[in-house]
Amino acid sequence: MNIPTLSDYKSVVGRDDIEELYILASHVGNRSIKMVNSTATGGGVVEMLHRVVPLLNELGVETKWEVIKGGSDFFDITKAFHNALQGNEEALPREAFNTYLAYNEMNSQEMDFDEDLIVIHDPQPAALIQLPLHRKNKWVWRCHIDMSHPNQQVWEFLRPYIEQYDAAIFSSPLFSPELSIPQYRFYPAIDPLADKNRDLDVTYINSTLEKYKIPRDKPIITQISRYDPWKDPVGVIQAFKIARKNVDCRLLLVGDKAADDPEAEAILTKVKEEAKDDPDIHIIFLTHSIPTEINAFQRASDIILQKSIREGFALTVSEALWKYRPVIGGSVGGIPAQIIHGFTGMLVHSVEGASLQIRTLLSQPELAKRLGENGHQRVKDEFLITKSLKRYLLLLLALDHPGQDKISLT
Amino acid sequence: MAEEYVFQFSSSAYLEKLSGKQACNLDELLKLIESCTLSSISYHTFSALRKFREVHAPYTNDLAVWISRNLHEESLSEKFGAINLTEYNTIESLKTRIVDIIKDFRDQNPPAFQKKADEPFYLCDVTRIVYLTDKFAYNLKSFREVLDSISINSLYFHFIESRLYNQLHLDDISTWIEQSLGLNKLAQSIRNIDINVYTLNEIRAKIAQLIDEHLNKLNTKPTV
Repeated sequence: MNIPTLSDYKSVVGRDDIEELYILASHVGNRSIKMVNSTATGGGVVEMLHRVVPLLNELGVETKWEVIKGGSDFFDITKAFHNALQGNEEALPREAFNTYLAYNEMNSQEMDFDEDLIVIHDPQPAALIQLPLHRKNKWVWRCHIDMSHPNQQVWEFLRPYIEQYDAAIFSSPLFSPELSIPQYRFYPAIDPLADKNRDLDVTYINSTLEKYKIPRDKPIITQISRYDPWKDPVGVIQAFKIARKNVDCRLLLVGDKAADDPEAEAILTKVKEEAKDDPDIHIIFLTHSIPTEINAFQRASDIILQKSIREGFALTVSEALWKYRPVIGGSVGGIPAQIIHGFTGMLVHSVEGASLQIRTLLSQPELAKRLGENGHQRVKDEFLITKSLKRYLLLLLALDHPGQDKISLT
Repeated sequence: MAEEYVFQFSSSAYLEKLSGKQACNLDELLKLIESCTLSSISYHTFSALRKFREVHAPYTNDLAVWISRNLHEESLSEKFGAINLTEYNTIESLKTRIVDIIKDFRDQNPPAFQKKADEPFYLCDVTRIVYLTDKFAYNLKSFREVLDSISINSLYFHFIESRLYNQLHLDDISTWIEQSLGLNKLAQSIRNIDINVYTLNEIRAKIAQLIDEHLNKLNTKPTV
């Protein structure tokens, strides 16, 4: 399939929305952006960058994407940072911080930062920031993770670096600490024309399930996410087992691993232990997931679960809602922004809550259908890639007018 | 003739700002409201009109929803939910009304101020960006033709947000129809559309219907 251009999105979001992107881009003028993150494969941030970068270029904003380098020692530490910022209270040794800074310094020496706007994604490259006196461009730190209960040791280490940026971006006010710099909310977004979300032939959906030996004899409940303790795959199995006492169904767990995630194998072992070779539980571990297959799994499902207990945003929720699926999500992080309880999905706080909602939605197909339809509209309004493009254009304009709450472009 | 006045459609976009500030009870909420920017008040009230309406969630404004869901003070929530935003042509006056509602409630229900919310209220703010589009209307017929093709953001700007900019109780659309086209009755019918009830697409359909009815009447009027 050809890579979609902006024009292709007119049929999805409407001609008027795309026209307004071009109007905003004309006011932005000839600008450049550099995106920096820590991995080129796996995870929602990478998926988003793969689409945002070429589309911003199409709008006339010259945008590059660079990935920082690091050894396994660096990625072990940044994974520990990630877990700490998401609430793990375990203290890190002093050497971990020194190693983190050494790798950031090494990358800083090897990279150039000549663009008008530098967007640093997540904590791994956060210390690349140059001192305000030494830079002529704008720097923005974009945090994609759940910072609602950060480990204070790691956060207080990072905060002085973050406060040197011109602005920070979070996906929810829950993650927003009081900072001395402006903060903006950017929702992450999905690409409706990407292989992971575009319409599929029924024959392809059927063949994908056949390939993975998943019978279509009963309703399918699916959670698609990395094997990660914060996604609570063990809790998903427990909820499924309780629900199955009342409603016959299958559980499908599908997950891959990011290149910077050394913990996935250990979590997978725990999941298999919980499943105990149950024939109705299908555990699929993909080293490199095929987007159209993920799409097929979602479209074949009667319910999608995202029972996270800490979450940045969970793009899988928007992906499922876009496909009109009813979604049950943990009431954490960015999930409540996507799921308005009872209107665009169901929010839960426990294994028992998840099991009750599985039973409810399988028993009330009209309710499930209505949630799916409303969910699709909610994603169309807020969580599509075209909205992300707009936010970057607005950010460039807002950074040009610091302190103004209304900007009139004529 | 009045029809020579051209209506150029604008549109608006907003970038949501986070403050890192939160309230966990009514006392803290009152202090936040008293000290926050006017654009914060605008965000938590007027902006809600385009946040959840399209998915048919009964969402009036952020304050009403937070008080109901997290403090379970339904009567106070209803007071906020019933605020008719069209009655306020400045955010200052709306802010004063919000503060007065909370203070009145404190006088009547002091124990409610001891309650801790299930989840905090997060104070947000907004930067609004207004820009011209390349769409024009030269008379009622051309306005009707363009109406279907303008974005939801453009409709929001002219029918809701513009009330704040011109500090009148009136929206841009009915004002143009009245002042430039001299169609007072049609303008009044459009003004009567309740922005607190309908989705933006429903508002678009209502305006279109009123204009269509007007144009049809003209077309069927017998020639003398």
